[in-house]
Amino acid sequence: MTQHVIDDELREHLPRLRRFAYGLTRDREGADDLVQSTLERALSRWGTRRDAAALKPWLFSILYRNFLNDRRRSRRYAFVLERFHATGFEDHPSAEREVAAQTALEALERLPAEQRSLLLWVSVEGLSYQEVAQILDIPLGTVMSRLSRARQALRRSLEGEIRTPTLRVLK
Amino acid sequence: MSMTPSEYEIQAYVDGRLDETRQQAVEFYLAQHPERAAEVRAWQRDAQQLRAELSGEPNLVINSALDPARIRARRQGQARTRWAAAAMVLLSVSTGVFAGWQARGWRSAALQPPMADAIQAYRMFSHNKAGQFDFVSQHYGDLQAWMDAHFVAAPNPPDLASMGFHAVGVRLIATADGPAAMVLYVNARGEAITFYVRPPSFRGTLPLGRRRDGDLVTEYGSVHGYDYAFVSRSDPRMLRLVHRAMRSLT
Repeated sequence: MTQHVIDDELREHLPRLRRFAYGLTRDREGADDLVQSTLERALSRWGTRRDAAALKPWLFSILYRNFLNDRRRSRRYAFVLERFHATGFEDHPSAEREVAAQTALEALERLPAEQRSLLLWVSVEGLSYQEVAQILDIPLGTVMSRLSRARQALRRSLEGEIRTPTLRVLK
Repeated sequence: MSMTPSEYEIQAYVDGRLDETRQQAVEFYLAQHPERAAEVRAWQRDAQQLRAELSGEPNLVINSALDPARIRARRQGQARTRWAAAAMVLLSVSTGVFAGWQARGWRSAALQPPMADAIQAYRMFSHNKAGQFDFVSQHYGDLQAWMDAHFVAAPNPPDLASMGFHAVGVRLIATADGPAAMVLYVNARGEAITFYVRPPSFRGTLPLGRRRDGDLVTEYGSVHGYDYAFVSRSDPRMLRLVHRAMRSLT
């Protein structure tokens, strides 16, 4: 496969990757950095793909793992900062953000990374359940039960937006 | 008939991925279970809302940095840079190691004063024992001839007869830099002065200098491309004699 053909194939998936990365990070610059590192890794490991046809799940899988790795590094960094009594690094949504969350994306942001990814892959990117199983390397039945839990979690998160201000008023 | 749909079927129904027969079966079940139906409809709305919020998201701003061709080119550039950096590190380390080794050699050489072999020769052969010389001189001219026969254009041993010292013999000595010769002079009181001549070391010919080793003093320098040294007891009278002998070399 020539470089041009590979580049064209990757270009075709760019919009999906960018959208998924933004849904995951809610940060446009961070999302594009994530996509860039994904493409770099994809290019360097192009020859190691087991299933040449399944490019889409392979790319999503790289992006998802890059995201988790970045987050792990950030947490380690946050831990170090905390040890030195530094401030300004917060990994959890603040109370103000809980109140301000009014959209599905904001509700999504409160979910764990895997639930976020599951909902984005299935509901937004239209990946098959089989493709999701491949990305997460879990059986199909597990995908379905986790998808159900993710949907329940998103629902609770959206409903939580209505409850939170009321609780704050009653204080 | 109201068979409970599987989790797979419920989720696939939410996503519109069931064939018509199964879809109708799930719809029939949901019609019998309003709470479950409300939950499923809410999930469908949530999914729709997510899609709506993210629609058009990736294409708002074109980011040329994400083009695969550019990323590929950048990777190749980085690979070249890494190779260049690795080569530089290797070169620096090699240079450092070489320079360090050289410096060590220079340092140890600098720490070691020159003409140690002249001192050693004095200690070994200044006792005027019979049989320790390669040539025993009867006349000063014979000594010069012997030197000319063994060294090319070497400085001639000085004639110290006017100072009360006469040459008793000469001995060839091997050094790392080539053959050296030591001429022993003694006076009537049995005092000794040695004249030592050798090829220059790798550091080049010696400038004029002096070293003291215990009760011995060595005055050294170079002439005609050879290094030479006079070794004697550290005594002002002997030193004056040595200085006169050195002047006679030029």
